[in-house]
Amino acid sequence: MTVLPQLAPLRKVNPVNSANTVGSSKLSIVDLTKRYAPGLEPAVDRLCMDVEEGHLVALLGPSGCGKTTTLRMVAGLMDPTAGSIVVDGKDITQTPVNKRGMGMVFQSYALFPHMDVAQNVAFGLQMRKVPSGEQAKRVNAALEMVKLAHLSKRKVRELSGGQQQRIALARALVVEPTLLLLDEPLSNLDAKLRETMRSEIRSIQQRTKATTLFVTHDQDEALDMADRIAVMNGGLIEQYDTPAMVYERPTTRFVADFIGQANFLTAQVLSENGQAADGERYYKVEVGGLGRYSAVGAPGLAGSSREIVIRPHRLRASLHPRPGDDAIAGTIERVSYTGDTIAFAVRVGDRRLLAQSMTSSADMPRTGDAAYLSWEAADAFLLPGHIRGSGT
Amino acid sequence: MQQTLAVDEAPPFKPRRRIGRPAFGTLLFLLYIFLLAPLLIVFVIAFESNQYLSFPPQGFTLKWFEMLPSESIFVDGMKVTLVVAASVTVIVLAIGVPAALALDRYEFKGKGALHAFFLSPLLVPSIVLALGLVLILTPLGLTNTYEGIIIGHVAITFPFVVRTTLMSLTTADTSCEAAARILGAGAWTVFRRITLPLIRSGVIAGGIIAFIVSFDEAVISLFVAGSGLPTLPVQIFQYVSNSADAAVAALSVVLILISLGVVVVVERVMGLRKAL
Repeated sequence: MTVLPQLAPLRKVNPVNSANTVGSSKLSIVDLTKRYAPGLEPAVDRLCMDVEEGHLVALLGPSGCGKTTTLRMVAGLMDPTAGSIVVDGKDITQTPVNKRGMGMVFQSYALFPHMDVAQNVAFGLQMRKVPSGEQAKRVNAALEMVKLAHLSKRKVRELSGGQQQRIALARALVVEPTLLLLDEPLSNLDAKLRETMRSEIRSIQQRTKATTLFVTHDQDEALDMADRIAVMNGGLIEQYDTPAMVYERPTTRFVADFIGQANFLTAQVLSENGQAADGERYYKVEVGGLGRYSAVGAPGLAGSSREIVIRPHRLRASLHPRPGDDAIAGTIERVSYTGDTIAFAVRVGDRRLLAQSMTSSADMPRTGDAAYLSWEAADAFLLPGHIRGSGT
Repeated sequence: MQQTLAVDEAPPFKPRRRIGRPAFGTLLFLLYIFLLAPLLIVFVIAFESNQYLSFPPQGFTLKWFEMLPSESIFVDGMKVTLVVAASVTVIVLAIGVPAALALDRYEFKGKGALHAFFLSPLLVPSIVLALGLVLILTPLGLTNTYEGIIIGHVAITFPFVVRTTLMSLTTADTSCEAAARILGAGAWTVFRRITLPLIRSGVIAGGIIAFIVSFDEAVISLFVAGSGLPTLPVQIFQYVSNSADAAVAALSVVLILISLGVVVVVERVMGLRKAL
């Protein structure tokens, strides 16, 4: 299931390597590299990233992409092979983990089983030698923030998963950490609870204005919660941008493929065909063996070969071509009805394209029908990167 | 491939017919008799009025028990044994727990070899160990001393402590320690406030086993300090070789009751099943 992000204005954001605002960012990661053993491929490869004060940034990627390794290096639980981590303008790469003043929520929550809830939350304050009167006040405030003040004397193992997760969050936030680090905090919860906790974590994060790094492999979570998403693959950041940009304007095929569903068409860009919004251009393109269509992309793509990305819900499937539209003719291979949406798998030559509609109108094709696929030029995005290898 | 399929599709295991349960019960009963009979006989003999170790009993008496406190070799032996067992427990915990921590939490060269080496005293017959100890301790002048016996006992109890501690370390969540460090705790605080409480049951179990093994140990004690500083098991051994009266049986009853007492206390305090 894909959550469609609300379409915020497609603002241009600084691309990854133009880190020119070092002064204003809360966290700067510079050329961070981790190699587990000499000769091995690095788990994190010269990663650069700036995080603004108060932002929630999601490190999103498949397992093994280096997102957790990055988080653990920021936390100080793991030494980087090279590179530096700068917080509030201070290089903390060599600072031991217990002097970094961060807060972290682990996938397993890592609550101390031999302490009760209040003792768990108070631990960080004790380490900071906060007077006991103030400790009690702050512990109580933190527990109230996660709505669990009434459980302060409970044993940890008597709590449900969702409650443990809130206590872990309270324990991390009560020390007013310089950075809040969340390592897949929702992956051990059931689907329903995950949705609730998502919005709760987000609202607590916004209230406390805690600058947050959030590791997840769940694109819905990242799109829903983050101010910025860093899509990672093979130890590199593929794209670092707002959720809307990552979804609507992916810079690589990997990003387009990993976030939501996507149709890819290889096209020859013929000529420019006018100005589009945000400095982009419309193009006439030739899709191999199918004909000429319209697409949109960055300036200067004319004459090159590029991949077009079209999201399934931007692809209309209909029984009759609408006059004036460019349309691809195909055969409906499969119709799947999920209540609020209806999805079509459409066979076009040797390709298989996915289309998705919100409502079922009279003009809905059925399995086996000949149908037409059409799209708006602004929804067919030409990937800026050259085509890698021989992808289909 | 097809063979695997055939195995996968085999009908589920059928429980045996009714004869199984009584037969199993009888077997279990016989096994318990086999294990406990020597203990029962000791109990019977301890109250036996006859002068010599014999069976079946001929009369009831408490004289063997009354005799124990005045029997200086038993009292002295008990003193030596308690001092040794207590010292061994403290020392072996102080070195065994850190050793287990190192084995579990760090990666280093020769870790596998060290692991095997730490557990090797379990595999070496204690007579061999005892002989080796005598050869080493004699030139050092440590035979017939507390130090000598303690060194020997630490060697044989060490694997137990490492084992039980390792067991609870592997089940403890390491991210608890990471969480404590991030919250500002230094290495020693993490160990004292997080790690130690997490592995408490394994450490206590190791300590109990170490104490009991040391308390019970005869071979090494006999070789290392048999002539000058005999422990209780050594005294008993020597007593039985000289005189065959039932005082030893009475002493055994006392020892059994003491062990039982320890077990009950531990069970009350923390639950033995959790500890072992």
